[in-house]
Order: sequence, then structure tokens, then C-alpha cells
Amino acid sequence: MKMKVTWAALAVLAVTATGCGSDSGSGEGSGKTTITFWDNNGGARTPVYQELIKRFEATNPKIHVEYVGVPIASVQQKYDTAVAGGDTPDVGGVTTSYLANLTGQQALEPADEWLAKSSVNGRLATPMLDSVRKTVPDGKLYLVPNTSNMDVVWYLKDRLQQAPQTWDEFFKDADGLTRKPDQYGYTIRGGAGSIFQILAEMYSYSGIGQFFDASGRSTVNDPKNAEFLTRMAGLYKKDTPEADVTNDFPKMVAAFGTGKIAMMHHNLGSYNDHVKAHGKDKIGAFALPTGPGGRRTVVANPVDGFAVFKNSEHKDAAWKFVEFLVSHDGNSYWNQQTGQIPANTDAQGDSWVQSLDHLKTAVDTLNDPNTQVVSPPYYLPQFSSITKADTEPLFQKVLLGQMKPQEFLDTLAQKLTDAQAEWKKANGG
Amino acid sequence: MSADVMTRPHPRAVPEARPGRPRRDPGRVLRLYVPLGMYLIFTLVPFYWMLVFALRPAGSADPVPWPITFEHFQTVWNDIGYAVFFRNSVIVGVWSLLVTTVIAVMGGYALARYRFRGRSLFMVVLLCTQFVPGAMMLIPLFSIFKTLGLINSLGSLIVADTVFNLPLSIILMSGFVSAVPFTVEEAAMVDGCGRLRGFLAIVLPQLRPGLIAVGSFAFIHTWNNFLFALMFVSRQDSFTIPVGLSYTIGEYSADFGALAAGGVVAALPVVCVFAVVQRYLVHGISAGAVKG
Repeated sequence: MKMKVTWAALAVLAVTATGCGSDSGSGEGSGKTTITFWDNNGGARTPVYQELIKRFEATNPKIHVEYVGVPIASVQQKYDTAVAGGDTPDVGGVTTSYLANLTGQQALEPADEWLAKSSVNGRLATPMLDSVRKTVPDGKLYLVPNTSNMDVVWYLKDRLQQAPQTWDEFFKDADGLTRKPDQYGYTIRGGAGSIFQILAEMYSYSGIGQFFDASGRSTVNDPKNAEFLTRMAGLYKKDTPEADVTNDFPKMVAAFGTGKIAMMHHNLGSYNDHVKAHGKDKIGAFALPTGPGGRRTVVANPVDGFAVFKNSEHKDAAWKFVEFLVSHDGNSYWNQQTGQIPANTDAQGDSWVQSLDHLKTAVDTLNDPNTQVVSPPYYLPQFSSITKADTEPLFQKVLLGQMKPQEFLDTLAQKLTDAQAEWKKANGG
Repeated sequence: MSADVMTRPHPRAVPEARPGRPRRDPGRVLRLYVPLGMYLIFTLVPFYWMLVFALRPAGSADPVPWPITFEHFQTVWNDIGYAVFFRNSVIVGVWSLLVTTVIAVMGGYALARYRFRGRSLFMVVLLCTQFVPGAMMLIPLFSIFKTLGLINSLGSLIVADTVFNLPLSIILMSGFVSAVPFTVEEAAMVDGCGRLRGFLAIVLPQLRPGLIAVGSFAFIHTWNNFLFALMFVSRQDSFTIPVGLSYTIGEYSADFGALAAGGVVAALPVVCVFAVVQRYLVHGISAGAVKG
């Protein structure tokens, strides 16, 4: 009897395992083309894509899109494994942070020709297109921009009546708003992701317009940048919580959500969390303060978009899907749901963008001819490791007073200079 | 004289403590219960916080989850898709447990009972495989599974997890088999049993702690494996619990309520497995570790 039960259980397991494992081959028999789409930030965005795919399939009944949500933390590894194994999707969400890595593996198809003949041609934000083209050595458009982000300082309106315009005003406000141990004027991102934020702040303060000078040396260790870093590190524990030394973005956002922090530097992406914690009317955002002469310098955030993979057997259908996603309607819906800046210029003029102060601030800042945009070298294959594993622990040492700001910046600058020289050599620069 | 002898208490006689009532020793409380209590608090506080985040409403900063809400469980189960991920994890976990245990019993028996050339080397090689990180094997395994048509199927996860579970399981199982005297098996053979019948009738019943130890290790390791689950599967309806858990942390935001609720769902089967098998497990690990 026992044996019979065991065999029955095994049979049920076998059936369930095979059932789940088999490829459904949806649409193959009905003359439909099935394309696979990998979302590079699966989870919260999944319902947004499901709605967009529903709309796309309604207007393109011959194409079926199979959605796969990939967790953001592992997306690069997932792509690398798929490329090495020759099993890439037809379309994938890709950002300029790892675009160079994928093009280096010859994984993507350039979209220039498709775009030239497309209805969205001329309707995608030029700075975003430029940023994508600058990321790769051959200047081709391997990624069609969907959205971008911008660094802002979020603040609680009931604590801070007027947003600071200059960095001097900012430091004064951070100090004035601190009532230890219950209230702090500011919070520093000392954990994962700290380097990008401090770079954005330093260049905004110094007003330097390039990451490398004409000879290829990094400008990161400029004395003005070091001056800023010294002032910022001076806020640690004085006007910020002690725990900031390990702050990554979830901790930082959570701390801001408790109401203990008056100002927090992040980007537009955390808007929904702040609204959930404080309510729409209680939070405000301002662009990073201006530098010398009142000029605003913005370090460009990675551009997020869609790429068609070279291995795709249905490239035209894949492009059609990409074209739909960056069209006015598709792009406007996506960005409205996620609270980011649309790449489609028609969508940028939509009423929902104009009605949200923080987005309007961001769009106006980026479109302002006086704004100086500095593009970080996302094209360097080592950029990610240099600004994360190599230097994040050193930044923590700066906060803890175990390393001098100038010494930290010299180390960072040397690594960037070496990587840039290596890249130039490899690409005939 | 004899009366004296009879009535004199024995010099070493100590009044017997009443059964069930240990002597109160204040030092024992300090030495034993205080450190244990502190360790227990240290261990359980993260679990408490997980429960607090999972059960309190979004936006609440109350250290006590009141009023209790199950909204985060609904989010992970229905919106994030844990219903499907959970089923997949159970299938992969149970299959891996079964296959690992069966092969480990066969391999362990062979290592324990037979002396063959290269046996020691084989044991060393088995041990060495434990030093190879799974991430290093990703691309070779991916290519193999692709050739076999196993990519995007739960079969790839069952095979990969089983393969990674096997070396330690075989080594452990060989220890358990060694602990069963061969003379017992010989006696069965004298009574007319073949080797297989002797093994099934005599040895296998005595391997119960070992089977439970090996099986539970295989299940828990497979249940928690994130890397293979993400890399070998690219279908939304074939992902497992660890992948679902990582969905709650996005690029710019993290849903702590859903993360905690997902953590509770993910931890529950593992806690249940431990609760059921822990008495076998402790015995099993120590027995398997010292016999070889």
C-alpha cells in the first residue's frame, strides 16, 4: 500500500514538473509571431508592461509578446549569461550603464535605420539620444531611449520653507534644520550607490563641464571638487544620522519616510515612496543647487530604453514593439505610471507632466539652454566596478575620517584616467 | 555495634533530590539561561521585525503590528505571483530532495562498503567540488541545458540543484552506512538475502536519520537557490520563490511590507521542515560527520 502511494506521488510530481517545464509555444500554430521581452526592472513595473503589451497586441494581433521580469539587481548577470549561452530575448530593457558591455559582446542590433523610417523619428529627446550614442565607440543607436532620470533633493515642505538656490544656502539649511537626535537636516548616502551621488553633487558645486580634460586625465580630483567633498563629509554626524555611513537607497528612502530627515538627495524614481509616506502636498523637490556664477551643472543619469537583440529571429516584430513603447501614447503611459521623464517630446508636453512640480522642475532644468550636462563615462567597461566595489568602501572611510577627501579623489581619478586610456587604446582614440 | 553500623549514615551518602525538581542554582541561571536568552533575542529580533513589517499597514512605523493587516500577503501572493512561484519551488525542492537522497544512498553505500582503486581520490574530488562556486558553472551549465532543451524548464533547476547537492550528500551518507555494522548485513546474507534485499531490509531502515538529514539539506538548499532559478529560466510562470522575493526591491524603491511578507512565505516551509526533522538532524549530522 505504502509503495503504491509513493509511486502515485512520484507520478503526480513527474506530471507537474513536465507540465511546467514544457514550452507552451504560444501562438506558433495560429500564425502569430511570438517575441520575448525582458523587463530590466521586473516587479513594480510588471503591471505597467502588462497593460502596454495588452494595448500593443490589440493593435498588432499577429504579434504575441511574452513578458519576463528580471530583478534589477541581477539583470546584467542575466544578460551576460544569456549572451554567452546564445539565448537572448528579442527585445530587452537596457540602460546606458551596461550598454557598452552588451555592445562589446556584439549582442545588440543598431536601431538607426529603423528609427530613420519611423513615425517617432524626431520625437525623441535629443540629449537622451546623444547620451546613448556617446556610450558606444561607433556612435550608433543600440538603445532607443524610453526615459531618463534626474537627481533632485527631496524635502519636507513643513520644515523647509524655501528651496536653497546655492550650495552655501544648502549647507546653512542642513545645519539649521538639525535638532539632534530627533531631526536631521540632511542624509548622506554612504552605502551602495554613494559614488554617483557624490559625483553629481561635486560637479554641480564646481561647475566643471567634463569628466576628462583634453589630455584624458580625470577631473574628479579637481581642488573645487575636493573642497566640496570636505564640506559634505563635515556634515556627517553633525547634521546627518550616524547610520548614514551604510545608507543605500532603500535605507535612505525609509529614513526620509519616518520624517526624521528634512532633505535627501536621490532622484525622481523615489517619488511614489515619499508620497506614500508623507502625502503629495508635504513633499517638494529642487534640482541640485547651482555652482559658480549661478550656472547649473547636471551629471546625466543613465538613459533607460529598449534594445533589439542580434539573435532575434523576429527583428521587425521586435522593432514594432519598441516603436510602440516609445510612441507618444506608450511612452506617456509608462512614464506617468513610474513618475519619470518621458523620452518622447510629445509626452513631455502632456498635462500630467506639467501638473507634477518635481517632474516639471526636472524637464525644465534639462531643457534649459543654460544647464550644463556632464556625461559620466558609462562606456568604460570598468566604470561600474570603479564607482562601486573599488571606491564605495573608500568613501565610507572619508565619512569616518579615516581618509582625506583629496586622497580619496586622487585614487578615484587615477582609476578613471587609467580606464579611459585603456578604452582609448582599444578603440583607436 | 551492629546497631551502630546500621544507623550510621554512609559517609558519602547524599540526600537524593526529588525527581523532577532540579536544585536551584543561581549561578546556573547566570551561566546558562542569561546567555541563551540573550542569544535567543538576538536571533529572533530580525524575525520579529519581518513579522512586524509583514503584518502592519503600509506607512506605519509602529513597533507592534496593530491593527494587523494581510494586505502585503495578498500583494505577494496575487500581484507578484507567489502562488505560481511557490508551486514551482515545491516541485523543484521535492524532486531535488528525492533524486539527491536516492543517488546519495547508492553512492554512500558504495563508498562505505566497497574498497576500490581511487576511492580516496574520489572522496577528495567530491570534497573539492564544494569549493567551486555556482556562479562559475553558470555558462557551461547553461550551454549544456540549452543543448538538452532544458532551458526554461524546471527540469534544469532540478538537475543543477541535485548535482550541486550530491557531493556533500554522498559523503554524509557514506558515514551513515559505515555506522551500520557489516556483520548485520552478512547475517542477512547467511539467512538467504541477496545484497539488495539485505540492504533494503536491514541497512535502509537504520539510515532514517541520515535520509532525513540529507533530504532536508537538499530541500533547503534547493528552496533558497536564487542564482540557478534566475539564470536557467526565462519564463515568468517558471520562476521560483527567491526570484519572486527579489521583485520587491526595484531600482528606485523597495516595498518593505511585500518584502517581509514574501520573506515569511519563503521561510515558512524551511522552518516547518526544521521543526519536524530537527531531532533527527542533530543526530544525523554528528553521526555522518564522525564516521567515515
